[in-house]
Amino acid sequence: MTALFWLAVTVAIYAASKLLYRRWPKVYLTPLVVTPAILIAALAYAGVPYGSYDAGAGWLSDLVEPATIALAVTLYKHTDALKRNIRAIVWGVGCGAVAAIVTSAGLARLMGLTTDIVDSLAPRSATTPIAVSVSGAIGGLPTITAVATMITGLTGMVLGPLVVRWFGIRSPAARGILFGTSAHSAGISKAFEYDAEAGSVAGIAMLCTAFVTLCAAPWLMMGFRP
Amino acid sequence: MRSFILTGLQIAALIALSRLADAAVRFLHLPVPGSIVGIGLLFVLLRFRIVRPQWVERGAKWLIAEMLLFFIPAAVGIVQYKQLVVTSGFRIAATILLSTLAVMLCAGWIGERMTGRQRREGKTSS
Repeated sequence: MTALFWLAVTVAIYAASKLLYRRWPKVYLTPLVVTPAILIAALAYAGVPYGSYDAGAGWLSDLVEPATIALAVTLYKHTDALKRNIRAIVWGVGCGAVAAIVTSAGLARLMGLTTDIVDSLAPRSATTPIAVSVSGAIGGLPTITAVATMITGLTGMVLGPLVVRWFGIRSPAARGILFGTSAHSAGISKAFEYDAEAGSVAGIAMLCTAFVTLCAAPWLMMGFRP
Repeated sequence: MRSFILTGLQIAALIALSRLADAAVRFLHLPVPGSIVGIGLLFVLLRFRIVRPQWVERGAKWLIAEMLLFFIPAAVGIVQYKQLVVTSGFRIAATILLSTLAVMLCAGWIGERMTGRQRREGKTSS
């Protein structure tokens, strides 16, 4: 009963924050910021532990995988755009995904974070299910990785449009590569705000980033062992 | 009403496919997550015309459009790490911010250079 209640509350706040964002499209009003903020405040106020919240609302998490699989339809419909840009996608994503692992681990180490946090941050540019399983494999804490990946998506949504503007990223494919490589699913939804080509390239970029992270992270992380 | 039911059925079909992909990964001990197997499987099914796009299109569109909703419970999960947020939150946030910026510049710049050059040369290859 309470489980269903928190599920309903989550959906309701999300729907309301989407309306708010449509009315005032400001980065700090994005539903991925507003909804969790309100929910965290509500849980704290009601004294509800995360476990009982997640018992109901966690059903939403189960839809991440079907939603990821649904990208196959987008990929299928934009096969031409993908074929046309395959070289740029391979190089852009390849370098971007390696840069993600190296700079995450490198900066985390430089800032003196502990080894398990360094390992947890390394795969954060990949989509959540991949990032979490890579994290577990290289010695990170999967739950920390899940949160870091989420924050990455958020950062990408906020930072991406600024980078696109400041650095004159004009081609739809390049925008897709930028968003899909740096901010996984959150980036895809942002890329779709430009056009369908940017969105579908972002989809394939997210998938390629997942593959590169899966294959390269265990090797690259050997360079960051104390 | 009809489109509402249709969307619902298609979402159910995509959920079933994701469960199938998970089961395949567990059964065959594959080293990749179910979502990757699922995307590959659905793409192949569409490519070989075993599944028609219109059978899953509506459901897929809804799931992709509402993707952010599915990440919210995980985002709320940060409340479990109060201690970590207090001790290392700032350094973690700075790492993520700077690294994301580096990834964007790298991926976006290479993408722009390579697609820009392709446009100038005209689509000669493939």
